Amino acid sequence: MADLSREDIQALGRAVGLDIQEPELTEVMYSLNALLESLDAINPPGLENVEPLPIILPPA
Amino acid sequence: MDKSELPFLSASELSGLIASREVSPVGVTEAYIDRIDSLDFKFNAYLTVTREMAMDAAREAEQEIAAGRHRGPMHGVPVAVKDQFNSAGVRTTGGSRILADFVPDEDAAVIANLKQAGAVLLGKTNLTEFAITGFSHRYSTPRNPWDLNTYAGGSSSGSGAATGARLCATSLGEDTGGSIRFPATWCGLVGLRPTWGLVSRYGVMRGVWSMDTVGPISRTVEDAAITLNAIAGHDPRDSHTSTAPVPDYRAALSGSISGLRIGVVTEHMESDLVEADVRRTVGQAITVLGELGATVEEVSLPLSALAGAVSGTLLAVEPANNHAKWVHENLSDYGHDDRILLLTGSVMPASYYNKAQKLRELIRRQVLEALGKYDALVFPTSGRTAQPVEDDPAVTSKATSSRLPFLFTRLFNLASCPAMSVPCGFDDNGMPVGLQIGGRPFSEETLFRIGHAYEQATDWHMRLPTAVA
Repeated sequence: MADLSREDIQALGRAVGLDIQEPELTEVMYSLNALLESLDAINPPGLENVEPLPIILPPA
Repeated sequence: MDKSELPFLSASELSGLIASREVSPVGVTEAYIDRIDSLDFKFNAYLTVTREMAMDAAREAEQEIAAGRHRGPMHGVPVAVKDQFNSAGVRTTGGSRILADFVPDEDAAVIANLKQAGAVLLGKTNLTEFAITGFSHRYSTPRNPWDLNTYAGGSSSGSGAATGARLCATSLGEDTGGSIRFPATWCGLVGLRPTWGLVSRYGVMRGVWSMDTVGPISRTVEDAAITLNAIAGHDPRDSHTSTAPVPDYRAALSGSISGLRIGVVTEHMESDLVEADVRRTVGQAITVLGELGATVEEVSLPLSALAGAVSGTLLAVEPANNHAKWVHENLSDYGHDDRILLLTGSVMPASYYNKAQKLRELIRRQVLEALGKYDALVFPTSGRTAQPVEDDPAVTSKATSSRLPFLFTRLFNLASCPAMSVPCGFDDNGMPVGLQIGGRPFSEETLFRIGHAYEQATDWHMRLPTAVA
């Protein structure tokens, strides 16, 4: 996916009720694009078949 | 022994002398408070010092022990706890200006457990703002006892600084992405992130619910063992705590690791993010483990290199949701790093969060598969030693969006596994290096056994920090 622009970030912010302006706007853009780029690049075999399981339940 | 020398004893040494009534809990508490009052201006380790409560607790401990009612190894031992844990009647800021005047009416489970064990609470230690970033402090910045110009490591920075500076006998930190092991490695201390579910998080300010853990930052492995024993165990108020009995961790310190199998994770040992002197120092420590009788082999965990991106997503999205009300209403009250993190997490598309959780499960499977063959996995806790204190830098590119690419702690947080950092030497500038030892869920005894055997074969834990000597 192409990097999100400042306008994209502001639109995402509006969707959750946040008005994101400078000086944070540019920094949030870089931070979010870095994470999205990293995750886009990671596609190991079996990913589509795994559940998003956050924990292992402790033993009783 | 002169009273001023008492803070230089380990918690375990102190524990023995208190039990035999050779040292008074009142005397040692006074010694620590004197030391905090005269020296903490250099370290910024404490946000609140509970002088009167500590002296009351010390007097009570002394009377109980004199009456033959010794509660156990932590009875009368002065401890410090991270200001992320609620404390009844004592200001609990979370390192934030937003909670500058917050006084809970109930103790977090870990504080209640420490009190039940007879420990003396000296105060609440400094931390990064809400414990969700690595460096950004809203009060003073804790300083590293090995070099006051450098960070102590975060987010449990004050617990690291206080323990290293001999301003407490042992301490508690909280570790979501490495916040116990990070200050432990940079301050030359032992830090243990317990298995998720071993220690109650009731009354602990939340970071990532499925990764948050409370554990010890101590000067020795034995100190960490007795500290963990005081706080571990089931708590019905934290429904994810295990009901299994908690072992006596000190009993695991047998001195022998003969027959254990240890895997050296090549992706982290050979990473470009590890400086040459850190790699050399950790390599020498691993050689010692082999000389002590462990079978040491290299193991590849290809997905371990993804831990930063996966955990970075969880560590942005979940705090943003925990803080949603304040992000909307009080954003300017947060410091720079927290503002950027919380806004980033607020606008992260849900599909990426879901993908991160799926990747996490693949990473966990790979870690657990390796731990099916090996008793422990080892590699550097951090690829770098302590860095100079600086103002929070602006994010000027994608490449500068993370301040912690060199921190290798998150693999075990993602896998819900325990992991410990033990001091294993110094870099070329004389700053401490940490060896990280991770194990299977609920295998803390094995980690203590390995760490203690290494500690007995070396003397790194006995070195005194430069700013303390």
